[in-house]
Amino acid sequence: MNPEALSALGDLFGDRLRTSLEARICYSFDATGKKFLPDAVVYPVNAEEVRRTVVLANRHRFPVVPRGAGSGFSGGSLPVHGGVVLSTERMDRIVAVDGENLYAVVEPGVVTGTLKEEVRKKGLFYPPDPASLKFSTLGGNIAECSGGMCAVKYGVTRDYVLGLEAVLGTGELVRTGVATAKGVVGYDLTRMLVGSEGTLGIVTRATLRLIPLPESAATLLALFDGNRRSAEAVNAIVAARVTPSAMELMDRTAIDCVQALMPVALPEGTGSALLLEVDGPEGQVEREADLLTEVCRAHGAIEVRRASDAHGRDDLWKLRRSISPALRRLAPVKLNEDIVVPRNRLSDMFDFLSDLAARKRVAIVNFGHAGDGNIHVNIMISGTDADETRRAHEAVEETFRKAVEVGGTISGEHGVGISKAPFLEMEVGPLGVAVMKRLKGCFDPNGILNPGKIFLDEAAVRG
Amino acid sequence: MKDSDLKALTGLCAKCGTCRTVCTLYPERKAEIAVARGKVALIEAALSGEDGNAEAMQEALTDCLLCGRCERACPNQVLVEEIVMKGRADLAEKVGIPAWKSVLFGRVMKSPGAAGIARKAAAAGQRLLPGKISTASGLHYRFPDGLGGKRRTVPKLPARGFIESLGKEEASFGEVMLFVGCVFDHVFPRVGRTAYETVKASGKSVAVFRDAACCGLPAMVSGDRRSAASSAEANLRRLRAAEPGSIVFPCGSCLLMFRRNVFSLIPKGTPLYDDAVFVADRAVDYASFLLSSGVLDRLPDPPEGERAGEIGYHDPCHLTGTLGKGPEAREVLSRAVGPEFAEMAGADLCCGYGGTFNVRDYPTSARIGENKVTVAARGGTKVISTACSGCVLQMRDMAARTDPSLRVVHIAELVHQALFRK
Repeated sequence: MNPEALSALGDLFGDRLRTSLEARICYSFDATGKKFLPDAVVYPVNAEEVRRTVVLANRHRFPVVPRGAGSGFSGGSLPVHGGVVLSTERMDRIVAVDGENLYAVVEPGVVTGTLKEEVRKKGLFYPPDPASLKFSTLGGNIAECSGGMCAVKYGVTRDYVLGLEAVLGTGELVRTGVATAKGVVGYDLTRMLVGSEGTLGIVTRATLRLIPLPESAATLLALFDGNRRSAEAVNAIVAARVTPSAMELMDRTAIDCVQALMPVALPEGTGSALLLEVDGPEGQVEREADLLTEVCRAHGAIEVRRASDAHGRDDLWKLRRSISPALRRLAPVKLNEDIVVPRNRLSDMFDFLSDLAARKRVAIVNFGHAGDGNIHVNIMISGTDADETRRAHEAVEETFRKAVEVGGTISGEHGVGISKAPFLEMEVGPLGVAVMKRLKGCFDPNGILNPGKIFLDEAAVRG
Repeated sequence: MKDSDLKALTGLCAKCGTCRTVCTLYPERKAEIAVARGKVALIEAALSGEDGNAEAMQEALTDCLLCGRCERACPNQVLVEEIVMKGRADLAEKVGIPAWKSVLFGRVMKSPGAAGIARKAAAAGQRLLPGKISTASGLHYRFPDGLGGKRRTVPKLPARGFIESLGKEEASFGEVMLFVGCVFDHVFPRVGRTAYETVKASGKSVAVFRDAACCGLPAMVSGDRRSAASSAEANLRRLRAAEPGSIVFPCGSCLLMFRRNVFSLIPKGTPLYDDAVFVADRAVDYASFLLSSGVLDRLPDPPEGERAGEIGYHDPCHLTGTLGKGPEAREVLSRAVGPEFAEMAGADLCCGYGGTFNVRDYPTSARIGENKVTVAARGGTKVISTACSGCVLQMRDMAARTDPSLRVVHIAELVHQALFRK
């Protein structure tokens, strides 16, 4: 970056501009394990500072990469072309919670779990619950359109974003959407921005839909001999016309990874587990929990456990949420994909994956949101064996092809970022890519915002 | 530790961000460099040959309370404290111990500013007299510019320390060894005294460990591994030679030193390592000792509480968090003061002392500490009890700043009151 640009940022941010190597190293990573060093880090505290940063970026032509908690899995917050990392950590106020009209207004740096906790105190519910909710930010969730465990019943982040305030790549501050239950005026710019991975605009404020907090919940752990049977049980549950608020699958290796952290006794022959939750009015929850138990048993569950209290429920959820980071214990490098297939193709997909692991001689750990058909396929490798790495990448590509072939998608909730950019066209086709690029040009004509993401980019692939 | 060991330790970090949720310092800094994930990234960069500024690196690694919350929350159990202390030690060798931590007395001062600090300390009324307090004492790390520095509220150093007040032959031999620690000997001798008398009330013979230079923790967290190791070595040899049945620690941080930290200072397979194992096996926190000794069984029923719920317990990070000794202290309190004890609001919030962190950045340390005691006081607590010297120092200071009616005591003082109540 040229010194003039840095000095202009210095005038704007004072000591909230950091350029030391040490400060920059701390913003060079996310949860992908990849590293790209930015030229500077800024910590804006309001929309005006964000806007002026982007104006400066257009004048001096440096990239601006918005970053929440840096906990993404697709490289969305990595500064692959250097430039300025714009951290939203200090824009972390919950501006309003409106219990009458059922919405909250937040700044982008609010941690998802903090909002959930805050509205819960008022008997309200913000459902989206990515596994990272205790640290990931709402701005990051909106940019990636994060999903989570309860998506099977409540949907994903986009279903709760009513309106946004965002700085476009031009440096213009735009307000989109509504603060009402409905609104169809013009193009849906809100949805355009949700999931755009920081490439079209930087969210500076969001109006989020809330719903009443369910009265109670029950959590069950059903153990099966393998993923195929777990998947069959998932479909049987849907056929029984119950919509659990979570249907999480974990294979045996995934569970074993967290054993060191929190031991779980498993009966012999356990190869897969389903974590199930139902919520709603108390009587209904009881009925549905019983029904789930019955359905699981009828479909070959070795054992079905029910958490007896809130503490037990927390433990089961902690088990589930700890899996992803704990996989690090298996191997240093994790190729972490999040394909989605139609729910009734889950069993086929699991068969395909175990065959693939054998053919490519790589370890594959599967867990995820089985109720959504969303599987986190984790290919675990050493990272030091070139042949193994090549086989692993072949396995990723085959997995994606299979997912698209059976009518699914290559990413349910992590986004494209840099890790799936090479496969964008495989799913959306050349015209799809072309239209997306045209839209990018409308929002960010100079390519200021988060360059190197979504679309194939050599610099990003090298990292 | 070799670089390759450090690489293995940092390599477990998945950069997931869980540490951000529990870090005591993160809400103050709101920057990645404050949390474990950032510090691990810095060390990884240094290990892979990134040529940063050693002083900036040192600054980053010292900006940590070593409260251990990240380590306990980490899904991969990354040993953050170990990594940070190792990083501090390596940097101390490279750039010297930061000026504000330089030992004032008895040791070579490398930094040019040290003479000035020494002068300032001499000017302060409460300097630490070299003749009076062992040159190896951790107090020198904790108060490089004297006790009264930086507008701290600390009691005047008493005329006599606890150990000094003992008779020549008093408490020289016994099956139980009491490791008083610098602060409870010199700054709050009443704690040393009440701990001694209550342990003695168990009926066992009690020796007070007089040769203790210092547990070594303040030196270790300052990156001064050599001093820490020499303290450890002296202590371990003498403790082993005394062959006590158990060694009681009124201070949780001293206990941590002997239960965990010494093992990263001493090479495995050496006789000293065996001594360390011997000591660790016998090292016990004050509350656990009282419970096992049966002395509390002799307590009269606690008085009907007119002041029910006024006494709280503050969890020292190391004692409750790392060593898991939270329930024991509460059990002791319940039996000593009955219904006057109640769970305190924010009991597990860090006090913000952080060993030498308080010296390094007093304003931040004070903000964290003031919040701690304010939350407790708002919840109705009038007396905060705890079992760690750093926490007592910090919370007394914080109480004086926010609510002078709030008392901060060591649990031994309350037990003493109950045992010897007239």
